[in-house]
Amino acid sequence: MSEFLGYERDDGSIGIRNHVPIIATAPYANDTVERAADIVENTIPITHPLGRCQTKPDVFQTYRTLLGYATHPNTYGAVVVAHAGEIVDGDELADDVAETGRPSESVNVHREKGVMNALKATVDAAQGMVRDASAQRRVPADMSNLTFGINCATSDTTSGLCQHKATAGAAWRLIDEHGGRGVFAETPEFFGGERELAERADSQEVEQKILDRVEWWDQRLQATGYDVRGAQPTPDNMDGGLTTIEEKSLGALVKSGDGPIQDIVDYGAKIPDESGMYIMDTPGHGAESVTGIGAGGAHFMIISTGQGHTLSNAVMPTIKITGNPGSAERVPEETDVDVSEALVGEQSFDWATDQLWEEIEEVVNGKLTMSEALGESQFAIHRIGPST
Amino acid sequence: MADKYIQVVQPTDNVATALRALEAGEAVTVAVGDEERTVEVNEDVRFGHKIAIEEVGTGDTVTKYGKSIGNAIERIAPGDWVHVHNVESNYGRGDIAGENRAEAIHE
Repeated sequence: MSEFLGYERDDGSIGIRNHVPIIATAPYANDTVERAADIVENTIPITHPLGRCQTKPDVFQTYRTLLGYATHPNTYGAVVVAHAGEIVDGDELADDVAETGRPSESVNVHREKGVMNALKATVDAAQGMVRDASAQRRVPADMSNLTFGINCATSDTTSGLCQHKATAGAAWRLIDEHGGRGVFAETPEFFGGERELAERADSQEVEQKILDRVEWWDQRLQATGYDVRGAQPTPDNMDGGLTTIEEKSLGALVKSGDGPIQDIVDYGAKIPDESGMYIMDTPGHGAESVTGIGAGGAHFMIISTGQGHTLSNAVMPTIKITGNPGSAERVPEETDVDVSEALVGEQSFDWATDQLWEEIEEVVNGKLTMSEALGESQFAIHRIGPST
Repeated sequence: MADKYIQVVQPTDNVATALRALEAGEAVTVAVGDEERTVEVNEDVRFGHKIAIEEVGTGDTVTKYGKSIGNAIERIAPGDWVHVHNVESNYGRGDIAGENRAEAIHE
């Protein structure tokens, strides 16, 4: 299959879902957003503790991430809810959404004279938008439009030996056979494998950039004066047999395959249109890294897990794959694809890749993932510096 | 014949990953590249955890995927369980910043 059925956007992107997020620009709009999303079917609340009392790099990162969700290929349009005049400005965000041709509405609690009026305005805007979204039909689109997000979660020693090979196989199938893009992240999980990873860079400039980012993370962790062990690998990683961050990294990097790396982009930045594999510079913290990859515009996310995980994203459908037979039994409702038969060679890794690919084909055409069916999702923007 | 439930990723690795529970006292045969090696398991090892397939001296590099995954903090004998009690990482270590770190990690 080289085509799928997707939703066309005015900015040229193609979505695999037609979501209407309701987006808070500051924590004081979170309640209004949650309540409106409870009332209006088929909306997604996007809430967070950021958007104010931040220094410029964090303001920029928060804004870029929220804009990334509001203008994601899978987003039909967005309702932005602000509290008052804030450093992340609701009207500015709504204007930037409108520039992509998407419907956008801006609600401000102070301007509405309180939360009750603001809730009514948010519900009105969202109700109209989801009805319009529901009228849009899927149309045939080329698979080269798709961007494949890759993340791991609750890794164990099966991750690098099995499921990551299927994830890499499917990602490179999209890139090599269909002209799509892939993006993986979690820079501190390059520790120990950074040299081989950097050697895969398409240019010397990108090679140096990868090494510099890894060094920056290591220096930053060392500057704490504390031992990072216990935070990385995490207790669940260690329970699954991973001993050090180096071992976790060497396994984690298997999910990126061994092909060339086009570039390493900043947290939440848009993934370039050119076909190929990209890195996004994120922490290993899954909720934060997946949130960043979503902001970058990945259409769907493969969570390649060892022990099983609830990690998922509301805007990017999240397909979870495991190669650990115990996990598939322990958390069946978090397992979309079980390739554990490939772990000790009862099936080949090509078979495992095919299993994942078939699921991807279904999901991009509209089949709900396990986490979508359960309504699970997390949203956590990575914070760089202190609040002020 | 080598046990497919105990995997060595690269022939230069000095640890293997157990993909079944191992019991103290059992002799296991693992494939190391084209060769086979038999070691006696010294203690129970859980699914997913590692055993040493050769001796690793105190301070020596523990190798998996053909790369360092840290250094042994005590002598590890063939058949020993290899985990956080006898191996330590060389990254993100604010507690030992600057102490011969670079030398250790790229062996």
